[in-house]
Amino acid sequence: MTVYDIIFYLFALITVGSAFFVVTLRNIVYSAFFLLFTLFGVAGLFVLLSADFIAVVQLVIYVGAILVLLLFGVMLTHNITQVQIKTGTLQIIPSAIAVLILAFSLIKIFLNTNWKTVPLTVQSSSVEGLGVLLLNQYSVVFELIGILLLIALIGAASMARR
Amino acid sequence: MNQIVDSLQYIKPEISAAIFLVVIVIVDLVMGKNKKYLSPIMIIGLLVTGFFIIDQFKFSSFAFMSENNKYGLLSIDSFGSFFKLLIVFSSIIIVFFTISSDEIKKAKERLGEYYTLIWGMILGMFFMIIAADLIVIYLAIELLSLSSYVLAGITKDTLRNSEASLKYVIYGGVSSGIMLFGISILYGITGTTNIYEINGLLQSQQIQGLIVTLSAILIFAGIGFKISVAPFHFWTPDVYEGAPITITAYLSVASKAAGFALLFRFTKITFIDSINADGSWNIISLIDWRSFLIIISILTMTLGNFAALWQNNMKRLLAYSSIAHAGYLLLGLIAFSNEGMMAVMIYFVIYAIMNLGAFFVVMLIANKIGSEELDDYKGLGKTAPVLTVSLGIFMISLIGLPPTAGFIGKLYLFLALINSNMILIAFIALLNTVVSVYYYVRVLKYLFIDSSEKEIAPFGVTIPNLILLLILVIPTLILGVYFTPLVEFAKYSITLLGF
Repeated sequence: MTVYDIIFYLFALITVGSAFFVVTLRNIVYSAFFLLFTLFGVAGLFVLLSADFIAVVQLVIYVGAILVLLLFGVMLTHNITQVQIKTGTLQIIPSAIAVLILAFSLIKIFLNTNWKTVPLTVQSSSVEGLGVLLLNQYSVVFELIGILLLIALIGAASMARR
Repeated sequence: MNQIVDSLQYIKPEISAAIFLVVIVIVDLVMGKNKKYLSPIMIIGLLVTGFFIIDQFKFSSFAFMSENNKYGLLSIDSFGSFFKLLIVFSSIIIVFFTISSDEIKKAKERLGEYYTLIWGMILGMFFMIIAADLIVIYLAIELLSLSSYVLAGITKDTLRNSEASLKYVIYGGVSSGIMLFGISILYGITGTTNIYEINGLLQSQQIQGLIVTLSAILIFAGIGFKISVAPFHFWTPDVYEGAPITITAYLSVASKAAGFALLFRFTKITFIDSINADGSWNIISLIDWRSFLIIISILTMTLGNFAALWQNNMKRLLAYSSIAHAGYLLLGLIAFSNEGMMAVMIYFVIYAIMNLGAFFVVMLIANKIGSEELDDYKGLGKTAPVLTVSLGIFMISLIGLPPTAGFIGKLYLFLALINSNMILIAFIALLNTVVSVYYYVRVLKYLFIDSSEKEIAPFGVTIPNLILLLILVIPTLILGVYFTPLVEFAKYSITLLGF
């Protein structure tokens, strides 16, 4: 086990562990704070994949903007901190069996697969390559994302309006 | 750079759709409370887009090439143009529905957003149909989903409307997450997102079948959600019941057509080895895609038909009927032949006409009596003869009885199945059709045999609505006896780039 592996497992543990608390905790403010660690762990994984730009974007947009907005929303909404979220479990035995079977088969299949791997090359920065790809080969995808965001904006405005 | 400019000629319909999306936003902004120009602009935009699509039938090529200049992000072919034309047709009909819908009239100040989001759906569906790359497939599905989530709750004044929207968002979010997981697995084993390249790699390299099957099933979850096949159908009855009826009709026809076009392209390009001289497809040996689809198809039609037996709300009944029809349409894919593909194309045109017609009549009746419950339909045969007779014709066509168009659609599907030696499956589908007779005829019984306890004043149809109704009724009858042009058109548009 190399240092790389240890760092990977550390970040993976942070991500999965805090994601578990996000869904199980009853207080919405605590959940929001654990979401911070989940998103931070994902950013760490991106760094390990030498995807520096995406890691920074993950930090700035998710950890920075979205989570702060979420917390503001929670604080400004009247009395939402006192609301006890209902976390009743329905059909616990069948769902546990289904989840175990799914998890077991996923792990089994993943371990027996020849994943396509490329040797790790340390690049100075991925921003330039990303930009060239987005504006050349994937230009239509770039435009499509623009329209998707416009639609999301219009949809959100329409839903917020009474 | 030149390459991008060259590709622009292939996506004229998409460009036109995007431009009209923005035009609607601007006109809505400038005109303020005056909404009367929006619908005409919609119609003009759809006609222009339709013109570009007809112009595109001659193309058969990739657009937006990848680095090695072999495959592209989008594949432009007559198969795609056929389905795009179908979507434009149903969009035009939906705009006319919208003009005469009381539900939308109540939320008139939202008409601008409503049409903008419809353009968003159209654009998403267009890209779903022509996508040849997993990234574009995912983005197109997201564009379609986002627009339709909002549209399902657009009127917002009723509780069930918001409920429909919320349910749609939650189910849709889960299924697109599952699909993205499947896409990431497929990328992890092949190292490419282009489905043509994936096909080449699956044929040549040592890749385990199990992981391909897993990722294909996960990706199918995303597509299956859009075409509402079991077990991804849970949202359908609630969303169809809660959404405004124009959107319900649109979801049941256009969004399903796009989903099926995507499913066909994805299956045919990714999992097919070669095509025999007689038009049947050889599937790659890694994956037993056919058995999976057979199980899904039988499950879907049986569940849809049996659940429909107990429905007392017209919208829910039509929702379960559309689930059952998704099962029938999958049969065309199971045939794994060009003949099956042609049968689905024929069936889809007919399905669009008769399903839109049925929803139109339900909407006109709801405008008058304010209800979609079957109990309130009692005795309408006497008070609204024109509407109910048309509804009767659509119901008979949905069953698939001659002399209506539905019969021709089912005939071609079953013939394609039998020609691929799947007589048992065809037999099960036939039994399902027999079950479906019960609930369709039950509607007719309520309309024509039962008499109402309360007095309803007789009501007719306004002239514009009557014309629209005739536009839908007449093809349902004529295509049942004179269907050669439709079959020829489907034959002409069968080219799917790659094979």
